[in-house]
Formats: sequence, structure tokens, C-alpha cells
Amino acid sequence: MDALGRVAVIAGYEWRRALAKKKVLALIILAITFQTLITVGLRQLFVGGFLTNEASSLIWISGVLEGGLFVQLIAIIVGGGSMSEEYEHGTADILLSKPIRRVEYMSGKFLGGFSLLAVVEGLTTFVGVILSLWFFGAQSGLQFAPLMFLAIVYSSLIFFCLSFMFSELFRGSTIAMLFALGILFASSILSTILGFLYGNLSRGFPTWAATSFPPLLMSELITAPSTVLPVADTGALYEAALIIAVYAIVFILIAAFRLLKSDVTKKTG
Amino acid sequence: MDAVSFKVDEGCVYGYLGPNGAGKTTTIRTMLGLLKPNQGEVRIAGANPSKDPVRALQLVGYASELPTLQTFFNAEQLLDFMGRMFGLPMQTRKEKTKQLLDLVGLKEWGKKKIGNYSKGMVQRLSVALALINDPMILIMDEPTIGMDPEATAHFRNLFTNLSKNGKTIFISSHLLDEVQRICTHVGMINKGKIVFTGPIEQMLEAFTQQWVVEAEVEKVTENILSSLKALEFVNDVKVDGNKLSIELKEKKDVRGEISSEIFQQKGVLLSLNLRKITLEDAYLQALKGGQ
Repeated sequence: MDALGRVAVIAGYEWRRALAKKKVLALIILAITFQTLITVGLRQLFVGGFLTNEASSLIWISGVLEGGLFVQLIAIIVGGGSMSEEYEHGTADILLSKPIRRVEYMSGKFLGGFSLLAVVEGLTTFVGVILSLWFFGAQSGLQFAPLMFLAIVYSSLIFFCLSFMFSELFRGSTIAMLFALGILFASSILSTILGFLYGNLSRGFPTWAATSFPPLLMSELITAPSTVLPVADTGALYEAALIIAVYAIVFILIAAFRLLKSDVTKKTG
Repeated sequence: MDAVSFKVDEGCVYGYLGPNGAGKTTTIRTMLGLLKPNQGEVRIAGANPSKDPVRALQLVGYASELPTLQTFFNAEQLLDFMGRMFGLPMQTRKEKTKQLLDLVGLKEWGKKKIGNYSKGMVQRLSVALALINDPMILIMDEPTIGMDPEATAHFRNLFTNLSKNGKTIFISSHLLDEVQRICTHVGMINKGKIVFTGPIEQMLEAFTQQWVVEAEVEKVTENILSSLKALEFVNDVKVDGNKLSIELKEKKDVRGEISSEIFQQKGVLLSLNLRKITLEDAYLQALKGGQ
């Protein structure tokens, strides 16, 4: 079996392991429920005359982005347990005593977790679009929905990689998830305050890129004037894309360094 | 661990002994590339598991001590998954899964989630997992721990048969009787250092300090005692009821001379045995540093 085959075996394993966790399934159900409730609420605003026809024709974008909040949480939970739970349960010994290189093992774990996250994002995108069509009728720019989905997948890389890195650094799932959640909330609050006070300074925070990239991309694609989308800004779009890539690469390199250079920890849980 | 060095030849059954905390599991985890040695290296069939785990561990089956297996799998699924990790084709995985579950006595439990297994059943499954790739080298850390006596005997026979089929087996165990029954070679580690490595007979010989003849007489008299003590090859005689423990100066079978002496002193001899050293005796001697 070649290296790719071994990565695929671990990726498949990671799917089974993550899906066996009830909290991931619970969050998926919660995300869809939340999306439905928000769409129903927006429908009430529309009926009450608080939303324009133009806004209602692009409401699918809001519907899809609402699921994004939960996707960040799912990213943190899937990433945070990926490496650490194997150490906690003592199964890392069993897996790494098989003919597989550590880098292949980590790649499989990463790809398995991230592909699962992408499927969840696909599901929330699909549900967002369907709910918008159901409650608001014909939508504009739906041809860009696949790109919107890819943008959300790409933007979720930051918190998935951050949580994945903590998972390997601390080798404890609770602490890894708590640290990643702490950074998600702290970054969100600080970037809002700094954005208000100093404008572009907030862009260095991970939440800015993670939350701004998908709507910025849509602004570039949907050229019609819109109150739903931010003003098109190609520079900001590229900046967000670059920030996501840099953060993700740094986090993954740190995790890989830790795994490759240290001993496999015995059962810690 | 400090300068641990030993070699296990192809086809031998190597028992790895040592007290708790001596470094047995650390040695095994280093052999599997899970721990990186500060100095030196491990070679399994010529490959270093830290640097080339794919080549080194392809030939290895490993059963860890009281493993915690993936509880979301059932036994069939876990065996299939482990077979995939070794790149076995689907048909082989299916056949091996069936065969191994039968071999370890878990045929009826194949479709039940591992979370419902007892400690002994997990240990059995762990041995089955170690055999999925039909390995040339089996590394087992306390493989029969948690098993009932019947299962222990079954697995002892299994290991003996595997060894007869040419497999190299490395067993870390506290069960010295088990080790003495199935191993051809032993290694002993104490406080992170190898105290002995070699054939099991050599260890028994090396750690035998003195031979002892045990005699049971109808009645121990002063005459019997003093005459035995006067024999030139006797070091000391200890009395416990009607039993005599005669410590010899040399490693020599002198039961004939001792029985004659007892008869000459009009004693009635009920039994006479040359007490052979067991692995446990040698182990305890080695721990005391009495080589």
C-alpha cells in the first residue's frame, strides 16, 4: 500500500470516529435548527415590511452564513478531538505501532476531519438555500452557491487548524477545544473593538478573515447593488484569503513539528 | 533506560522480564518507534522503526498490555480496519477476521461493540489484532493478563504453535512460570539496565548459587543431623519438622551419598529430591544482583 492509501485509511477511520461522537451530530442538528429559526424570523421581518425585495432575493446568502457560526464550533470540536482523543484513550499507540509514517497519520487525521467538516458545511449550505427558496421564493445569484460553499470551507480552515494544533500540542481534547473557543471569542470581541477604533488593524485577527472571506467573495461575484453584502473590495478579499492560508499553514506546521519530534504519549485519559 | 542492548534471533521465543517500573513497556514502545531513544537505535529485520516504520513494522504484530481499543467498532470492524492498515485485500481481511475470531474464542462476539467486552475479551481481541497481518515477529506486552486460567493455557499453546511455525515472539510478562514453559531465551531488565540476556538454561545456570537436596525422614535424630553436617560436600543443613534442607557446596548431584548416610544412621527415608532452580529463583537472584 502506498502513502496515499495509508492516508485514506486513516481519513476513513477519522470519519467513523468523529461521527461516533454524539456531540458532532448534536451540533449539526442544532445548526440546521438555528438556520431554520433565523429564516423564519427573517420571513416575519419581510412580511412586516422591514426587508426590501432586493434583500429578500439575496436572503440565501444570510441563510448560508448563519450556519457558518455553528460550522466554526463544529470545526473546533472535530479538530480539537482529532489527535488528542487518541492519546487520551490510548489508541495512538495502537495506530502508530502499525506500518504508517507519522506524517501520513497526521495527514489522514487532518483530511478526514476536514472533509467531514466540508460535508457538514455542504449540508448547511444546501439547507440554507432550500429554506430561502421555501420562505422567500426565487433567489438571485444562486449559481454562485457552490462557490459560496467553497469559500465557507476555506474560511473554516483557520479554526479547524487552530483546534487541530492545540489537540496535538496539549494532547487533551477539553483543553484544546477550550483554548480554540477562547481564541474564537476573544478574537471576535477584540477585532470588533479594534475595527471600530482603528479600522484595518482588526484584520490581523483570525475571526476577521474567517468571517469576512465568504461575503467578500460574494460581493465580487454579485455585482448588483445590495444591502445584504458588504461593498466589494478586491484587496480585502485577497488579504482575507492570504491571512487564512498563513494561519492554517503555521498551525499545521506547529502540530506536525510536535508530532514528529516527540514521543507518542501513553494513555492520558 | 540506560544502555539497553539485546538481540532476538529469528524463530526464538524471547521472554522479557523485570519488576514493575523496570522499563519493559518502555523497551517495547521504543522497539515500535513510539518512543525515540536519546542514543542508539532499534533494528527490526534490518529496518529502524523510528525512521522507516513502514518497512520495520510491516512484519510486526503488537499486542499491548490491557489495551483500550476503539469502542465504536465491533471486533469484525476493528480487525478489518487493522487489516486495511497493513494493506491486505478485502477477501484476505474477511477470511482472516473469521479465522482469528475463532482462534481467540470470540466467534460469537464478532458483531458486538467492543465497549461491551470484558477485560479478558479485550486482551483476546488484542492478540487477534496482532495476528491480522500474519506477522513474522510478534511483540506482546503481558499478553495473558486479565485472562482466566483456561484462556491462559489456550494462549500458551497458541504461542507455542506460532513459534513452531517459525514466528519470532517477544513476550514481556510477569508470569515466570508461563515464560519458563514457552520461551527459549530470556532477557531481564532491572532499573533500566539489562541484567541478563541469553538462553533460558544459561540464565538458570547463571543465577543458581547453590544446589539443595531436600530429604524427608520419619524422624530427625541428632545422629542424622551431625553426620550429614560432617559430610565434606555439605555446606549446611536446615530442619523443618521431619524435613531436611541440605545445602551443598558444589553444583553436584549427591543424593546417593546422602541416602546412604541416612540409612547408616538408622534413619527411615521417605523422600529425597534435588531441588532444581526455577526461573522464579533465578529471577529473584538476579534482582538481588547475585550473578
